[in-house]
Amino acid sequence: MIPTKETVEPDDRQLVETIRGGDPDAFEALVRRKTSKVYSLCYRIIGNSEDAKDISQLVFIKLWENLEKYDPQYAFDTWLYRMVTNVAIDFMRNKQSRENAVNSNLRLVKTSTDADQGTIVQRKEVESVFNTVSQALSPKQKTIFVMNQMEDLSSSEIAKVLGCRESTVRNHLFNARKLMQQQLRKRFPEYSRLWKEEQQ
Amino acid sequence: MISCQTYRASLTAGTQDAALLEHLRTCDACLDVSVEVDPDNFFRSIGGSDLVPPGGVDAFVGDVMRAVQVRGKETSMASHQPLSWRQRLAIAATVAAGITGATIFWQHERQTTAPVAAPIARAAVAPAPAKVLATKPIVETYSRNATIVEVPAEGKVNVVMIFDEKLPADL
Repeated sequence: MIPTKETVEPDDRQLVETIRGGDPDAFEALVRRKTSKVYSLCYRIIGNSEDAKDISQLVFIKLWENLEKYDPQYAFDTWLYRMVTNVAIDFMRNKQSRENAVNSNLRLVKTSTDADQGTIVQRKEVESVFNTVSQALSPKQKTIFVMNQMEDLSSSEIAKVLGCRESTVRNHLFNARKLMQQQLRKRFPEYSRLWKEEQQ
Repeated sequence: MISCQTYRASLTAGTQDAALLEHLRTCDACLDVSVEVDPDNFFRSIGGSDLVPPGGVDAFVGDVMRAVQVRGKETSMASHQPLSWRQRLAIAATVAAGITGATIFWQHERQTTAPVAAPIARAAVAPAPAKVLATKPIVETYSRNATIVEVPAEGKVNVVMIFDEKLPADL
């Protein structure tokens, strides 16, 4: 009888230890494991696939350069998310300063009659709506909003990632929601009916 | 995945239930209802599933590993060059100062040890110091109290100094 070989995947901390021991294959395994997570977060924060890909690569290079600094008593994903958010926020700040004036009025406001007709929400449209209205948010507000609403991280988890207080995260979330609703009413009145009850 | 009926019956505002969120993000039919229950579900609906970078994961991982190798080579090359630009500049300055000093010393030595048959033009440039340097006073002592010092000069006149304690001061 041929014995079956059970391969147990090493967890993130074990993988990091192996990389520190000088195994380049372990780093490749770590990159492969985290690619989708990192790229998804980058894409949702930045809203552009090519930029998100570049930023993700930069994150992994920084990860390789700073792996010695990782303290295994903390969750690896928290440390990784912190790196992603730092790089993405830096990128957005630079980009925002370049494009602020250009993008301020990109989309034409629809007529108010459209808003009264009632609209069936279409998933494909939601993404482009988000990319438009989220331009009103600061890089940090957008990052927190994405982590909370799309990555399902709690306020305390986000606070750990960003190294700030939970109350700060909740403040940013509150302001982000408010700004998004204002932008939605202004630029996409057809969807603003969704928040009517909340306004009243 | 849970059914649409279960989802609609269980959905509450601000839910963090993983099964409900999974349904929210995959079922188009329930999207409108989801937003009616909680407007935040409008943007929450586009989250969730992990995305794949353009070109696929393999190509992405390959690019990252190549970039890391390039960085690794750059780092190892940098570690083989321990001298900073300041150190290199200091070394260059020291070498240059050494060469200049050696040249000046060599020229000076060449001038002082020049043979008598040196070109006339050069002798005319600095004849005096050579002779002055060669001049030595002749000291003659006649008694315990009297000393005559004779200093030969270039012309015919010699400078003679007499030191005698017995001689009057206004001599």
